[in-house]
Amino acid sequence: MSEPAVKVEAFHHHDEEGTRLGFWLFLFTELLLFGAFFIVYGVYRTAHLNDFKIAAESLNTGIGTTNTIILLASSLTMVLSLNAMKAGRVKLAKSMLLFTMALGTTFLVIKGFEWNAKFAHHLFLQTSAAIAEGKGSPLLTPGPDMLPDGQVLFYGLYFIMTGTHALHIIIGVVWMGIVYFWISKGSINPDNAGVLERCGLYWHLVDVIWIFLFPLYYLVA
Amino acid sequence: MNTKEQSFSPRGPVLVFSALIVLTLATVLLSGLDVGNTGALLIAMSVASVKAGLVLYFFMHLNHEPLIFKLFVALAFVTLATLFLLTFSDYAFRGIA
Repeated sequence: MSEPAVKVEAFHHHDEEGTRLGFWLFLFTELLLFGAFFIVYGVYRTAHLNDFKIAAESLNTGIGTTNTIILLASSLTMVLSLNAMKAGRVKLAKSMLLFTMALGTTFLVIKGFEWNAKFAHHLFLQTSAAIAEGKGSPLLTPGPDMLPDGQVLFYGLYFIMTGTHALHIIIGVVWMGIVYFWISKGSINPDNAGVLERCGLYWHLVDVIWIFLFPLYYLVA
Repeated sequence: MNTKEQSFSPRGPVLVFSALIVLTLATVLLSGLDVGNTGALLIAMSVASVKAGLVLYFFMHLNHEPLIFKLFVALAFVTLATLFLLTFSDYAFRGIA
Protein backbone atom coordinates (compact mmCIF):
# COMPACT_ATOMS: atom_id res chain seq x y z
CA MET A 1 0.00 0.00 0.00
CA SER A 2 2.65 2.48 0.98
CA GLU A 3 5.13 1.44 -1.69
CA PRO A 4 3.32 2.80 -4.81
CA ALA A 5 2.53 6.01 -2.94
CA VAL A 6 6.24 6.60 -2.44
CA LYS A 7 6.86 5.98 -6.14
CA VAL A 8 4.19 8.48 -7.20
CA GLU A 9 5.72 10.99 -4.82
CA ALA A 10 9.11 10.49 -6.46
CA PHE A 11 7.73 10.94 -9.98
CA HIS A 12 6.00 14.16 -9.08
CA HIS A 13 9.02 15.70 -7.50
CA HIS A 14 9.13 19.36 -8.31
CA ASP A 15 11.86 21.74 -7.20
CA GLU A 16 9.98 24.95 -6.53
CA GLU A 17 13.08 26.86 -5.46
CA GLY A 18 15.05 25.78 -8.53
CA THR A 19 12.13 26.79 -10.75
CA ARG A 20 12.03 30.19 -9.12
CA LEU A 21 15.76 30.67 -9.55
CA GLY A 22 15.40 29.74 -13.22
CA PHE A 23 12.64 32.31 -13.58
CA TRP A 24 14.88 34.96 -12.05
CA LEU A 25 17.44 34.10 -14.74
CA PHE A 26 14.79 34.89 -17.36
CA LEU A 27 14.09 38.17 -15.59
CA PHE A 28 17.80 39.03 -15.85
CA THR A 29 17.57 38.73 -19.64
CA GLU A 30 14.65 41.16 -19.54
CA LEU A 31 16.83 43.47 -17.50
CA LEU A 32 19.56 43.29 -20.14
CA LEU A 33 17.03 43.95 -22.93
CA PHE A 34 15.81 47.15 -21.31
CA GLY A 35 19.34 47.92 -20.10
CA ALA A 36 20.41 48.17 -23.74
CA PHE A 37 17.57 50.64 -24.39
CA PHE A 38 18.63 52.69 -21.40
CA ILE A 39 22.21 52.82 -22.66
CA VAL A 40 21.05 54.07 -26.06
CA TYR A 41 18.86 56.63 -24.33
CA GLY A 42 21.78 57.74 -22.13
CA VAL A 43 24.22 58.17 -25.00
CA TYR A 44 21.80 60.10 -27.25
CA ARG A 45 20.53 62.20 -24.39
CA THR A 46 24.08 63.30 -23.58
CA ALA A 47 24.73 64.05 -27.25
CA HIS A 48 21.44 65.96 -27.77
CA LEU A 49 20.67 67.27 -24.31
CA ASN A 50 18.71 70.37 -25.34
CA ASP A 51 16.61 68.61 -27.96
CA PHE A 52 15.78 65.87 -25.46
CA LYS A 53 14.66 68.46 -22.94
CA ILE A 54 12.51 70.33 -25.46
CA ALA A 55 10.90 67.12 -26.73
CA ALA A 56 10.36 65.76 -23.20
CA GLU A 57 8.32 68.86 -22.35
CA SER A 58 5.65 67.70 -24.79
CA LEU A 59 5.01 64.71 -22.51
CA ASN A 60 2.39 65.23 -19.81
CA THR A 61 3.88 64.74 -16.31
CA GLY A 62 0.39 64.37 -14.80
CA ILE A 63 -0.44 61.46 -17.09
CA GLY A 64 2.96 59.87 -16.44
CA THR A 65 2.51 60.19 -12.67
CA THR A 66 -1.01 58.75 -12.84
CA ASN A 67 0.22 55.76 -14.80
CA THR A 68 3.10 55.26 -12.34
CA ILE A 69 0.66 55.18 -9.42
CA ILE A 70 -1.62 52.78 -11.32
CA LEU A 71 1.26 50.37 -11.94
CA LEU A 72 2.45 50.59 -8.33
CA ALA A 73 -1.10 49.86 -7.17
CA SER A 74 -1.23 46.87 -9.52
CA SER A 75 1.97 45.56 -7.93
CA LEU A 76 0.31 45.88 -4.54
CA THR A 77 -2.80 43.94 -5.61
CA MET A 78 -0.55 41.31 -7.23
CA VAL A 79 1.37 40.78 -4.00
CA LEU A 80 -1.89 40.62 -2.04
CA SER A 81 -3.20 38.02 -4.50
CA LEU A 82 -0.19 35.77 -3.91
CA ASN A 83 -0.24 36.27 -0.14
CA ALA A 84 -3.97 35.51 -0.06
CA MET A 85 -3.41 32.36 -2.11
CA LYS A 86 -0.64 31.17 0.18
CA ALA A 87 -2.90 31.80 3.16
CA GLY A 88 -5.56 29.61 1.57
CA ARG A 89 -7.94 32.46 0.71
CA VAL A 90 -8.49 31.52 -2.91
CA LYS A 91 -11.48 33.80 -3.52
CA LEU A 92 -9.59 36.84 -2.29
CA ALA A 93 -6.59 35.83 -4.41
CA LYS A 94 -8.82 35.68 -7.48
CA SER A 95 -10.40 39.08 -6.93
CA MET A 96 -6.99 40.66 -6.27
CA LEU A 97 -5.75 39.13 -9.52
CA LEU A 98 -8.75 40.62 -11.33
CA PHE A 99 -7.95 44.02 -9.80
CA THR A 100 -4.38 43.68 -11.06
CA MET A 101 -5.59 42.88 -14.57
CA ALA A 102 -7.97 45.84 -14.48
CA LEU A 103 -5.18 48.19 -13.38
CA GLY A 104 -2.84 46.87 -16.07
CA THR A 105 -5.55 47.43 -18.68
CA THR A 106 -6.19 50.95 -17.36
CA PHE A 107 -2.47 51.67 -17.76
CA LEU A 108 -2.67 50.53 -21.39
CA VAL A 109 -5.77 52.62 -22.13
CA ILE A 110 -4.11 55.75 -20.73
CA LYS A 111 -0.94 54.96 -22.68
CA GLY A 112 -3.09 54.55 -25.79
CA PHE A 113 -4.66 58.00 -25.35
CA GLU A 114 -1.20 59.44 -24.78
CA TRP A 115 0.16 57.88 -27.96
CA ASN A 116 -2.93 58.96 -29.86
CA ALA A 117 -2.29 62.57 -28.90
CA LYS A 118 1.24 62.23 -30.27
CA PHE A 119 -0.09 60.73 -33.51
CA ALA A 120 -2.48 63.67 -33.83
CA HIS A 121 0.58 65.91 -33.75
CA HIS A 122 2.13 63.83 -36.54
CA LEU A 123 4.56 62.08 -34.22
CA PHE A 124 4.84 58.36 -34.77
CA LEU A 125 7.37 55.75 -35.75
CA GLN A 126 7.77 55.50 -39.48
CA THR A 127 9.59 53.30 -41.95
CA SER A 128 12.03 54.54 -44.57
CA ALA A 129 9.63 53.08 -47.17
CA ALA A 130 6.87 55.38 -45.90
CA ILE A 131 9.25 58.33 -46.13
CA ALA A 132 10.23 57.38 -49.69
CA GLU A 133 6.55 57.23 -50.70
CA GLY A 134 5.94 60.61 -49.13
CA LYS A 135 3.62 59.08 -46.52
CA GLY A 136 5.84 59.78 -43.55
CA SER A 137 5.22 62.49 -40.98
CA PRO A 138 6.71 65.78 -42.21
CA LEU A 139 8.06 66.23 -38.67
CA LEU A 140 10.19 63.10 -38.96
CA THR A 141 10.99 63.18 -42.70
CA PRO A 142 14.07 65.01 -43.95
CA GLY A 143 12.86 68.34 -45.26
CA PRO A 144 12.04 71.89 -44.18
CA ASP A 145 9.54 70.82 -41.47
CA MET A 146 11.72 68.14 -39.93
CA LEU A 147 12.42 68.34 -36.22
CA PRO A 148 16.08 68.50 -35.14
CA ASP A 149 17.80 65.10 -35.05
CA GLY A 150 17.84 65.02 -31.26
CA GLN A 151 14.06 65.37 -31.04
CA VAL A 152 13.49 62.73 -33.70
CA LEU A 153 15.72 60.42 -31.65
CA PHE A 154 13.82 61.27 -28.47
CA TYR A 155 10.43 60.42 -29.97
CA GLY A 156 11.82 57.29 -31.62
CA LEU A 157 13.19 56.06 -28.30
CA TYR A 158 10.00 57.12 -26.52
CA PHE A 159 7.83 55.01 -28.81
CA ILE A 160 10.21 52.03 -28.84
CA MET A 161 10.83 51.96 -25.08
CA THR A 162 7.28 52.64 -23.89
CA GLY A 163 6.05 50.36 -26.70
CA THR A 164 8.23 47.45 -25.61
CA HIS A 165 7.14 48.09 -22.05
CA ALA A 166 3.46 48.17 -23.10
CA LEU A 167 3.97 44.87 -24.90
CA HIS A 168 5.20 43.41 -21.61
CA ILE A 169 2.09 44.76 -19.89
CA ILE A 170 -0.11 43.08 -22.52
CA ILE A 171 1.73 39.77 -22.04
CA GLY A 172 1.40 40.16 -18.26
CA VAL A 173 -2.36 40.78 -18.41
CA VAL A 174 -2.91 37.82 -20.76
CA TRP A 175 -0.78 35.63 -18.49
CA MET A 176 -2.85 36.72 -15.48
CA GLY A 177 -5.99 35.76 -17.40
CA ILE A 178 -4.59 32.27 -17.91
CA VAL A 179 -3.54 32.05 -14.25
CA TYR A 180 -7.05 33.16 -13.22
CA PHE A 181 -8.51 30.36 -15.32
CA TRP A 182 -6.15 27.83 -13.74
CA ILE A 183 -7.04 29.02 -10.25
CA SER A 184 -10.72 28.58 -11.13
CA LYS A 185 -9.99 25.06 -12.32
CA GLY A 186 -8.08 24.37 -9.13
CA SER A 187 -4.75 23.47 -10.75
CA ILE A 188 -3.27 26.54 -9.07
CA ASN A 189 -4.12 26.28 -5.38
CA PRO A 190 -2.65 27.18 -1.99
CA ASP A 191 -0.35 24.14 -2.13
CA ASN A 192 0.72 24.77 -5.71
CA ALA A 193 0.96 28.51 -6.23
CA GLY A 194 4.27 28.58 -8.12
CA VAL A 195 2.77 29.77 -11.40
CA LEU A 196 0.95 32.63 -9.70
CA GLU A 197 4.19 33.52 -7.90
CA ARG A 198 6.22 33.64 -11.14
CA CYS A 199 3.48 35.62 -12.88
CA GLY A 200 3.78 38.08 -9.98
CA LEU A 201 7.58 38.25 -10.26
CA TYR A 202 7.22 39.08 -13.95
CA TRP A 203 4.62 41.74 -13.23
CA HIS A 204 6.78 43.37 -10.55
CA LEU A 205 9.78 43.46 -12.89
CA VAL A 206 7.67 45.24 -15.52
CA ASP A 207 6.82 47.69 -12.75
CA VAL A 208 10.50 48.12 -11.86
CA ILE A 209 11.30 48.96 -15.49
CA TRP A 210 8.55 51.58 -15.55
CA ILE A 211 9.94 53.05 -12.32
CA PHE A 212 13.04 53.99 -14.38
CA LEU A 213 11.22 54.90 -17.62
CA PHE A 214 8.96 57.36 -15.82
CA PRO A 215 11.60 59.85 -14.56
CA LEU A 216 13.70 59.59 -17.73
CA TYR A 217 10.81 60.56 -20.00
CA TYR A 218 8.49 62.63 -17.83
CA LEU A 219 10.65 64.29 -15.17
CA VAL A 220 14.19 65.19 -16.25
CA ALA A 221 12.98 67.56 -18.96
CA MET B 1 9.37 27.16 0.77
CA ASN B 2 9.58 29.22 3.85
CA THR B 3 6.16 30.06 5.27
CA LYS B 4 3.53 27.69 4.00
CA GLU B 5 0.79 28.38 6.49
CA GLN B 6 1.04 32.11 6.86
CA SER B 7 -2.07 34.07 7.66
CA PHE B 8 -3.14 36.83 5.33
CA SER B 9 -2.34 40.37 6.38
CA PRO B 10 -2.27 43.27 3.93
CA ARG B 11 -0.39 45.51 6.35
CA GLY B 12 3.19 44.99 5.13
CA PRO B 13 2.47 45.32 1.39
CA VAL B 14 0.24 48.36 1.96
CA LEU B 15 3.03 50.00 3.97
CA VAL B 16 5.54 49.39 1.16
CA PHE B 17 3.00 50.69 -1.36
CA SER B 18 2.53 53.89 0.68
CA ALA B 19 6.29 54.42 0.71
CA LEU B 20 6.37 53.95 -3.08
CA ILE B 21 3.60 56.54 -3.56
CA VAL B 22 5.34 59.03 -1.27
CA LEU B 23 8.60 58.54 -3.21
CA THR B 24 6.78 58.97 -6.54
CA LEU B 25 5.23 62.25 -5.44
CA ALA B 26 8.57 63.33 -3.95
CA THR B 27 10.44 62.72 -7.20
CA VAL B 28 7.78 64.67 -9.16
CA LEU B 29 8.08 67.61 -6.74
CA LEU B 30 11.90 67.44 -6.67
CA SER B 31 12.00 67.51 -10.48
CA GLY B 32 10.80 71.12 -10.22
CA LEU B 33 14.03 72.12 -8.44
CA ASP B 34 16.62 74.00 -10.46
CA VAL B 35 19.68 71.86 -9.75
CA GLY B 36 21.07 71.56 -13.26
CA ASN B 37 21.00 68.58 -15.56
CA THR B 38 23.36 66.30 -13.62
CA GLY B 39 21.71 67.13 -10.30
CA ALA B 40 18.21 66.45 -11.62
CA LEU B 41 19.31 63.17 -13.18
CA LEU B 42 21.09 62.13 -9.99
CA ILE B 43 18.05 62.88 -7.79
CA ALA B 44 15.59 61.18 -10.18
CA MET B 45 17.72 58.05 -10.58
CA SER B 46 18.43 57.80 -6.84
CA VAL B 47 14.73 57.93 -5.97
CA ALA B 48 13.96 55.44 -8.77
CA SER B 49 16.63 53.08 -7.42
CA VAL B 50 15.16 53.19 -3.91
CA LYS B 51 11.70 52.51 -5.35
CA ALA B 52 13.01 49.62 -7.45
CA GLY B 53 14.80 48.27 -4.38
CA LEU B 54 11.56 48.31 -2.38
CA VAL B 55 9.70 46.46 -5.13
CA LEU B 56 12.49 43.90 -5.52
CA TYR B 57 13.03 43.31 -1.81
CA PHE B 58 9.45 43.26 -0.54
CA PHE B 59 7.07 42.72 -3.47
CA MET B 60 9.32 40.21 -5.21
CA HIS B 61 9.91 38.60 -1.83
CA LEU B 62 13.69 38.73 -1.91
CA ASN B 63 13.43 39.29 1.85
CA HIS B 64 12.15 35.71 2.13
CA GLU B 65 14.65 34.19 -0.30
CA PRO B 66 17.90 32.47 0.72
CA LEU B 67 21.14 34.39 0.49
CA ILE B 68 22.09 32.82 -2.85
CA PHE B 69 19.02 34.48 -4.48
CA LYS B 70 20.00 37.87 -3.12
CA LEU B 71 23.56 37.43 -4.40
CA PHE B 72 22.21 36.38 -7.81
CA VAL B 73 20.07 39.46 -8.15
CA ALA B 74 22.86 41.69 -6.88
CA LEU B 75 25.22 40.17 -9.44
CA ALA B 76 22.74 40.86 -12.26
CA PHE B 77 22.55 44.52 -11.29
CA VAL B 78 26.32 44.79 -10.89
CA THR B 79 26.68 43.34 -14.41
CA LEU B 80 24.22 45.89 -15.75
CA ALA B 81 25.99 48.71 -13.93
CA THR B 82 29.33 47.55 -15.35
CA LEU B 83 27.89 47.62 -18.88
CA PHE B 84 26.61 51.14 -18.29
CA LEU B 85 29.90 52.31 -16.84
CA LEU B 86 32.02 50.86 -19.64
CA THR B 87 29.74 52.14 -22.41
CA PHE B 88 29.52 55.64 -21.02
CA SER B 89 33.23 55.90 -20.31
CA ASP B 90 33.84 54.77 -23.89
CA TYR B 91 31.55 57.50 -25.27
CA ALA B 92 32.94 60.11 -22.95
CA PHE B 93 36.42 59.67 -24.45
CA ARG B 94 35.30 59.51 -28.08
CA GLY B 95 34.24 63.12 -28.25
CA ILE B 96 30.69 62.18 -29.30
CA ALA B 97 28.99 63.09 -26.09
